Amino acid sequence: MSETLQQLLDISIFWEYRTVLLRGLAVNFYVFVCAAIVALSLGLGAALLRVSRRRPLRALGTLHVEIFRNAPDYVMVVWVHFVLPLLIGTLLHTRFELNPFVSAIIALGFVYSGYFAETFRAGIEAVPIGQIEAGRSCGMSDRHILWRIVLPQVVRRMLPESINQFISLFKATTIVSLIAVPDLMYQVSMITQQEMRPLPLYTGAALVYFAVILVASYALRAASERWRNKIFA
Amino acid sequence: MSEVPTIRVVDVHKRFGSLEVLRGVSFEVHRGNVVSMIGASGSGKSTLLRCINHLETPTTGDIFIEGESLCFRGDAAGSRAPRPLSEINRMRRDLGTVFQQFNLWPHMTVLGNVIEAPNRVRGLSRKAAAQLGGECLARVHLEDKALEYPARLSGGQQQRVAIARALAMQPKVMLFDEPTSSLDPELTDEVLGVMRELAADGTTMIVVTHEMGFAREVSDRVMFLHNGLIEEEGPPDQMFGAPKSERFRQFIAKYLY
Repeated sequence: MSETLQQLLDISIFWEYRTVLLRGLAVNFYVFVCAAIVALSLGLGAALLRVSRRRPLRALGTLHVEIFRNAPDYVMVVWVHFVLPLLIGTLLHTRFELNPFVSAIIALGFVYSGYFAETFRAGIEAVPIGQIEAGRSCGMSDRHILWRIVLPQVVRRMLPESINQFISLFKATTIVSLIAVPDLMYQVSMITQQEMRPLPLYTGAALVYFAVILVASYALRAASERWRNKIFA
Repeated sequence: MSEVPTIRVVDVHKRFGSLEVLRGVSFEVHRGNVVSMIGASGSGKSTLLRCINHLETPTTGDIFIEGESLCFRGDAAGSRAPRPLSEINRMRRDLGTVFQQFNLWPHMTVLGNVIEAPNRVRGLSRKAAAQLGGECLARVHLEDKALEYPARLSGGQQQRVAIARALAMQPKVMLFDEPTSSLDPELTDEVLGVMRELAADGTTMIVVTHEMGFAREVSDRVMFLHNGLIEEEGPPDQMFGAPKSERFRQFIAKYLY
């Protein structure tokens, strides 16, 4: 009995496949970084719309946030990969396909842009109006005030919450295996089909994700605290 | 006086919804003058100051900075098109503003606060701006705090940095909006001291204040606002020595006794 258990849990198989698995992990990072860039850019854009002086622009920003924040990431990944190309293909009367990487990055980028937009907005609204008036009365343009006065503070203010969102986004990159993006989870399920030993493989994958996220989030928190403390005493 | 006034306010009205905060205010400030605006809360004095740097748009009326209209494009006789924001921003460079809440930018050092606008709005090189910034910090006696962050300074020191930041734009006029009202009493003197020195150096200043001693000793002229109008104005000795209006008499009685 104990021998069976030992065999079931034998992690060494994970080591045998380390090259393939590491390549899978690299894919997770790649999807994560690209999706984060998409999410941050779109999120900032949507947040700026939401604090705009013009009502139609505000409504547009709210629409963006509500659609993507309330869309499950799994559904979005599937929809972007399988339904969106059909729609585009029908409209253009051609065959249209999306590379699974592109689908994954678009889907996750858009979903998380909804969350980041809210974080950005809260950060923007937390900058006291007086600081903006001080900029105006020195003759600064709105763009100058945004980039030099508001956003540097927003970034510092939103760091703690962003770290949580980055962690969620990183975890969400594991569902891209469902559309055959060859990430760590995808590799693990492929190997499991050959070796028929799901327990060590999936346990190993879980441990790797756990270790990566734990270390990264501690490092990021420590760095962000040091950076923030200088300013928000 | 044939010289063009530094600031000329012409029949400024300001309405917020149904509330008329300013009901037709006109006055002139000449170069080197120190004008204090006093009055009870809600008399319109802060709103008036905010109209002068266009943080509030007057409902009607206009403000001229060295003869140039702040609210409208072209000369007063010609076009009445509102002045675009880019031109207002250019004109604002000549108006240094100090706020009640200091409004320093917390993510920049003291020197960073002071040189941001000279460097990136006026277009001075970083080196020239830093030189100028150092001089402005020396004028408020804070040259040794250049590399601190605002959060590490006392309220009085923060307000002096805000004064240096406004001075660094080398404005034609300095606008002070209740600069000591959010300071603890023991910190007001260091700020008022700096303002006295600026006045002695010939800086043109408009000061909204509750500091009657300062208004009396430092100003060339005092304006008492009441319900959105200038109720009484004149040289401080005459104003405080022989107040004419009953309202002003009641107002200063609260401060003097």
